[in-house]
Amino acid sequence: MYAVLFAVSTSLLFAVIYWIACQALLNQIQDGLAREASSLADDQQSGGMNELIRSIQERLAASDLPPAYALLLDASGRKLTGNLGELARVEGFMSLSPPVKVVRGLDNEEDYEHAVIAFGRTLPDGTYLLVGEDGNRIDEAKEAILRAFSWGLATTLFLAVGGGMLLSSGFLRRIEVINRTTRAIVAGNLDDRVPNRATGDELDQLVANFNAMLDRIQVLMESLRQVSSDIAHDLRSPLHRLRQRLEGARSRTRTVAEYQGVLDSAIADADNILSIFSAILAIAQIETGNRRFAFAEVDLSAVVADIAEAYGAVAEDQGQTISSALAPGGAVRGDRALLTQMLVNLVENAIRHCPRQTHITLNLEQDQDDVVVSVSDNGPGIPQEEWTNVFRRFYRLDSSRSTAGFGLGLALVKAVADLHGAAIEIMDAQPGFRVRLRFPAS
Amino acid sequence: MKILLVEDDPETAAYVSGSLKEHGNAVDHAADGREGLILAAAGRYDVLVVDRMLPGLDGLALVKTVRAAGVKTPILFLTTRSGIDDRVEGLEAGGDDYLVKPFAFSELLARVNALSRRPPLAEETTRLRVADLEIDIRLRTASRAGQDLGLKPMEFRLLEFLMRNAGRVVTRSMLLEKVWEFHFDPRTNVVETNVSRLRSKVDRGFTSELIHTVRGAGYSLRAPK
Repeated sequence: MYAVLFAVSTSLLFAVIYWIACQALLNQIQDGLAREASSLADDQQSGGMNELIRSIQERLAASDLPPAYALLLDASGRKLTGNLGELARVEGFMSLSPPVKVVRGLDNEEDYEHAVIAFGRTLPDGTYLLVGEDGNRIDEAKEAILRAFSWGLATTLFLAVGGGMLLSSGFLRRIEVINRTTRAIVAGNLDDRVPNRATGDELDQLVANFNAMLDRIQVLMESLRQVSSDIAHDLRSPLHRLRQRLEGARSRTRTVAEYQGVLDSAIADADNILSIFSAILAIAQIETGNRRFAFAEVDLSAVVADIAEAYGAVAEDQGQTISSALAPGGAVRGDRALLTQMLVNLVENAIRHCPRQTHITLNLEQDQDDVVVSVSDNGPGIPQEEWTNVFRRFYRLDSSRSTAGFGLGLALVKAVADLHGAAIEIMDAQPGFRVRLRFPAS
Repeated sequence: MKILLVEDDPETAAYVSGSLKEHGNAVDHAADGREGLILAAAGRYDVLVVDRMLPGLDGLALVKTVRAAGVKTPILFLTTRSGIDDRVEGLEAGGDDYLVKPFAFSELLARVNALSRRPPLAEETTRLRVADLEIDIRLRTASRAGQDLGLKPMEFRLLEFLMRNAGRVVTRSMLLEKVWEFHFDPRTNVVETNVSRLRSKVDRGFTSELIHTVRGAGYSLRAPK
């Protein structure tokens, strides 16, 4: 469509130029003829009729580039000289349309196939003078211009259409890539992303934003899928156990005390299931990250100090010790409740998975603008092969299967850390286990 | 106590209402938000127990309206919505406490009792006293029979909470939320351990036991009968 618009406007331009050029040429010729006529009239003034006739004949005999024409009629219309046939007496400029009768010599008439541009003038004594020039020149010029313009137009059109197609095909190709990727994603291939040509233009920016949106959607969908999977997988066994317990109690008559015992256990089972359920949902909520706008300044030093104090007694009962080395005023931007829960998780993990005599340390320090918190113990540690696994939701190390509790602790720690933009690292405390969290400057 | 329960689920309503009555309270029940609003604004209740999801007018809107009307009655939200944001939303709307279903009745009772304490004292008393146990809130000191107990900061907070609710049952969850600000269920017995530590400082070596364990419910600080 743009090509059409372009062609139309170009044609218009050419038409204008064409018309102007032709006009200019015509004017030039007409001026020349008028001057010629004036000069001849002067000749008659100065040298009389004979002089005029002689001038005309000279003119006609001279080099015929361009071929010249002339006609002289006396007052009564009798031809005095000239190489044109009979004509009406017309004043001013005219164009004699072909065929034009040209007389060369006695009774040697020819038809001239081109137009003749002429100028007619009546002299004071009644004589009619006509001078003319070959209009072929103009026709040739017109043709030449038209030819040039046609070529120009064709080239322009070609370039316009070709260039347009080239540009738009590149553009359309990229759009088609986006469409293809979107279809693939809708069909279930969540990992697809639109390739980015890194040219920095608007389409690339759109692609970058599009990919970011896809990342987010993938996180949300993954979280959803994970929750469904967790529920199916991890609630099934406890629910099954509960049912078995109740069914077993029903299998025969029991004493009231036995029934009460079963009911108490059933309630405990139900509570257990509910807390697994809550934990799953809590992690999903944290992962889908709507909490960020509720963030505030949190004094992390105070939070860690409170936790250290609260768990001192608990550790003691396990034959363990807790100590803390906290730089004051470590402030981060976040959710106090979630940060508390995350750190408690780490401390409780250490208490529950380490044997007696283990020493647990809580550290907080400022490293440039970052706040670094670490929870370490000098217990048996975790084998390096297991490190990436421990963040998975229900993962529990084989060695710790006997201890109570599910495997959700570190999955939640990671979810909260991610939400706060904190980098989480696990390492060998040599000996023991350490989890280090680095919070960016608030 | 006069309690208004606004709850649309008939089973929960019967359970809660019945149990509260068994404990000597007078309970009015509304099954939808609008009826609840009318009763709340008109009657004089000690505590309102409001379900968040209600037909008619939803619980959150009910509480906002009631508060806007200048009613200062303490309000406890009951809800299945356990999200962190939901709790904050409920408290910001004017609720005083938030309990997630399903709950143990003892939990509900303890919290309702805690909310219904007599109108706040005109001046902030800086000292609380039960029998020969005395604490100074400003100075953060605690003493019994004139002897300083040497409490650490967290121990003091725990004792302060128990004393502010003296004579009432305080549940484990209430302690977790109000003393330690843990809005989750810890996997260790941090409450039990710390109460036990406090007990050894407050009760051991003195004439009477002030901190009691209430089986199936929680703890209570009171002078011996």
